[in-house]
Amino acid sequence: MGFLTPWLLAGTALIAVPVILHLVMRRQPRLLEFPALQFIRRRQEANRRRMNLRHWLLLALRCALIAGLAIALARPTLKGSGLRGKEGAPLAVALVVDNSLRMQVVHQSETRQQVATEMAQWLVGQLPEDAQVAVIDLSRMSGGFVVDANTAESRIRTLTPESNPRPLEDAVREAVELVADREDYRQEVFLFTDQSASAWNESALQSIGQLLAEAPDVRLYVVDVGVEGVRNVSLAPLEIRNSTLRPGEPLTIRVSLDAVGTTEAALVEVALENGVGEPVKRGQQLAEFDEKGQAEATFELGDLPLGIHQGTVRLAESDSLEVDNTRYFTVEVRPPADVLLLAEHNRDALFLREALQPSFSDDRQQGRFSCTVQRFAGATAVDFKDFQAVCLIDPPALSDELWKALADYANDGNGVGIFLGHRARLAGFNDSSAQMLLPGTLELRSRYATYLRPRGLDHPALSGLRDYAEEIPWQIYPVWQYWQFADLAGDTYVVARFANNQPALLERPVGRGRVLTLATPISDPMEPQGRQPWNLLPTGPEPWPFLALSNQLVGYLAQSEREQHMFFAGETVNLRLAAHQRVAGYALYLPGGQTVRRKLSAGEETIGISTTGDLGNYRIASGGESRLLDLGFSVNVAPDVTNLARVDPQALTDALPAHQLKIARSLDDVQRYVDIGRSGRELFSWAITLVALVWGTEHLLANRFYREAA
Amino acid sequence: MSTVEKYLKPEVIRQISRLDLRAQFIVKGFLQGLHASPFHGFSVEFSEHRKYAPGDNPDDIDWLVYAKTDKYYVKKFEAETNLTGYLVMDLSASMAYSHEQELTKFEYSICLAAALCYLMIHQNDPVGLITFGERIVDSLAPKSKRQQIGNILSLLAKLKPKDKTDVAQSLTQLAAMLKHSSLVMLFSDLLVEPEPVISALRQLRHGGHDVILFHVLDQAEVTFPFEGLVELRDPETGEMIEVDADGYRSDYLDEIESFRALYERECRQSRIDYVPLDTSMPFDRALTEYLANRRSCG
Repeated sequence: MGFLTPWLLAGTALIAVPVILHLVMRRQPRLLEFPALQFIRRRQEANRRRMNLRHWLLLALRCALIAGLAIALARPTLKGSGLRGKEGAPLAVALVVDNSLRMQVVHQSETRQQVATEMAQWLVGQLPEDAQVAVIDLSRMSGGFVVDANTAESRIRTLTPESNPRPLEDAVREAVELVADREDYRQEVFLFTDQSASAWNESALQSIGQLLAEAPDVRLYVVDVGVEGVRNVSLAPLEIRNSTLRPGEPLTIRVSLDAVGTTEAALVEVALENGVGEPVKRGQQLAEFDEKGQAEATFELGDLPLGIHQGTVRLAESDSLEVDNTRYFTVEVRPPADVLLLAEHNRDALFLREALQPSFSDDRQQGRFSCTVQRFAGATAVDFKDFQAVCLIDPPALSDELWKALADYANDGNGVGIFLGHRARLAGFNDSSAQMLLPGTLELRSRYATYLRPRGLDHPALSGLRDYAEEIPWQIYPVWQYWQFADLAGDTYVVARFANNQPALLERPVGRGRVLTLATPISDPMEPQGRQPWNLLPTGPEPWPFLALSNQLVGYLAQSEREQHMFFAGETVNLRLAAHQRVAGYALYLPGGQTVRRKLSAGEETIGISTTGDLGNYRIASGGESRLLDLGFSVNVAPDVTNLARVDPQALTDALPAHQLKIARSLDDVQRYVDIGRSGRELFSWAITLVALVWGTEHLLANRFYREAA
Repeated sequence: MSTVEKYLKPEVIRQISRLDLRAQFIVKGFLQGLHASPFHGFSVEFSEHRKYAPGDNPDDIDWLVYAKTDKYYVKKFEAETNLTGYLVMDLSASMAYSHEQELTKFEYSICLAAALCYLMIHQNDPVGLITFGERIVDSLAPKSKRQQIGNILSLLAKLKPKDKTDVAQSLTQLAAMLKHSSLVMLFSDLLVEPEPVISALRQLRHGGHDVILFHVLDQAEVTFPFEGLVELRDPETGEMIEVDADGYRSDYLDEIESFRALYERECRQSRIDYVPLDTSMPFDRALTEYLANRRSCG
């Protein structure tokens, strides 16, 4: 039992008034002559007893009336917040509003977020003035207590859907920790959410349960604004086989559909943006759902010209949740990278050339690389600027002039690959001219049999292999000989090592360019004349790891790595700039149509964009008509974010402490909990009814006593 | 100025000074309406004639006189005084009580007594007066002369009710005094223990006397109109009792009711006329009603 205005209980002291009137300030009787005293005398005793009883009864009723009135005005509550010693304490309230995209489900013309917002605003309106209020959403920004209720209401009103929500448990954690800090306050957290199973997963329940256990004074009210029986078809993230295409290579897009509450076939459309950014429909397909509500659609778009292409895959019809009806994509059609392979003989470059530009490939479809093989003898006559990368295959001692030309070439921001082999000599390679490019001084030719064993695969030169890292049996490609370095230059980075931990692949930045050095040949024949092969990398039992490795290394050198064009909302996008793309500034075209102009500092090789909250296609351009820089990427919603499956309420009540958790399903429930949680269930109406009853009884008795007498 | 005359002043009309006039008024009105005495003597002999007045019994018309004079005369009889009336007046202090009424019980009783006295004298019945407190205080021998009225009224006017009272003792004493069958008209509030009084009344009745008991109470004693806390003092004994009047009223009314009922029952059994009165009742009407009632019964 608690009281909202306990000081009014002092009013019970007024009980003294009737008591004093009754006992102390008794009326002085009027003195009257009356001869017929004998009739008085006969019943005097019985009458006195009866009168006393009546008077005491009336006195008791009047006292009860005053006390009851005082208690009623003090607004008694049946049950306070249950926190001992905190009845009457001010409130610390954190309102957690789930603003993930899932809350955009429309039901009865209102999104779940609108419902949640209205409830939260109503709740703020109910809070007493001295309450501390915090508004927390699922964006990454953490909030604190706001200044006043108006600010809180304003914050709730301006909440926008969050395409990259943090886990619900994180927001709840922030809220609980925030209110738990207010030790002298009643601590309440209201969570407005749609009870999504993906948000309330097992780890979240466990985490929140533990959180509440650590803060036993905190009460968590989960206000369920979700709806059952929603009809929704969602598109899964697009599966694009290759987002960096070569001229003539078709774009293949595969998309999975997931239906909830419906099995009707869905029409899926694909559109590409034209030169002015308007979508042009390029295909459609009717997707039939199976009994599990799954369907699939595949589109193939050919004849894409060079450049960036952006588009959408979308459902033709709308449903409850619009945000997962559209998926965005960006692909790039690039010309093949020109690569110069320098070798002593053409045969030395055979394996590498075939790996980069297979001679048996389809003529209609150009490969990723266009290779030119040149002998070292005539290398000085070649203009390196025509190539995006130069690879030295088993180089002998070269002239200083050639080393210098290569160094200049690298300095300009190009890539040079040095694949050492049996022709290398300490004398020619440890010269200062060669050392401008090499990662260090050669020490010896090691005959310690080993094999290549890259670890981590974090370096961009090898990162393309990451997906197959477990599947490449490096040990079946033995390396019998390799060059061992005495001293590595200070700026050298070991990209990969052999199994014996000796450096195998090393990178050294030269000017704005990059130089990769492999300590063992890349294109060594299986049975070379007059010597033993150094390794079986190109000639091992399975050719594909070699293909992958060489494509990765040369692609890195030519700066034509397969770039990622598809991101989920909230991810930071890093776009690597090729040498010819180094610009001083660029314009970022956002999906909403806005344009952001940014500057780049000199030498900056990547553009980092972290403001990827808006879903859609982004474009980066610079150089005006010349299209010096033309990049693009797409931001889509992560698949789990729009999963509408609802959690079983029992799971919630089982996992979380019952005395700290209340689940509300309507505004009435919220009101009830608010009443109980904040001030207890008000008993004013009952108390005042009781007072009225006492007053009525007193009146009746008093009237009855005196009416008899009248 | 004689004692009687001073009562003639209009401003003291409420007092007993005009008792004779008041009595005349009452009784004349009564006689003119009824033309017969409610009191019948044992032997009545002719005394004189008087002119017939409308309302007289035609049986009483003396046809011989009519034959001689051609006028109607009725015969008038003079009772031989074997119906002697005694006005017995209680002088207890309680009789002087009045609560917001014009007349005290004593004054009210005097008015009644005066009226009856006039009535009886008018019929030539002798009327005497006896006053008592704890015992008989004064007595005036019964006479039927007209001056008797003045005597009686003069005496009553001088009396002040102030004593303690013993009704039973006084009545017993009275019974011993009366030699012949008489009409005893007792005026008292009877605020004493009822049993001895009833016993004395029976004794009186047993002695062959006709008894009319005028039980005169103040209106306050009948209705108990007090409110709130009051301290009541008995004027005779000085005893004081503090009561809550509102809470006590119903009990009191029960008591007074049963008290009157007791007297009424006992008087009826003893063939005593019991006349309960209170001072709020107009006494002339009260008396008229009583006499009419008695006439119709008797």
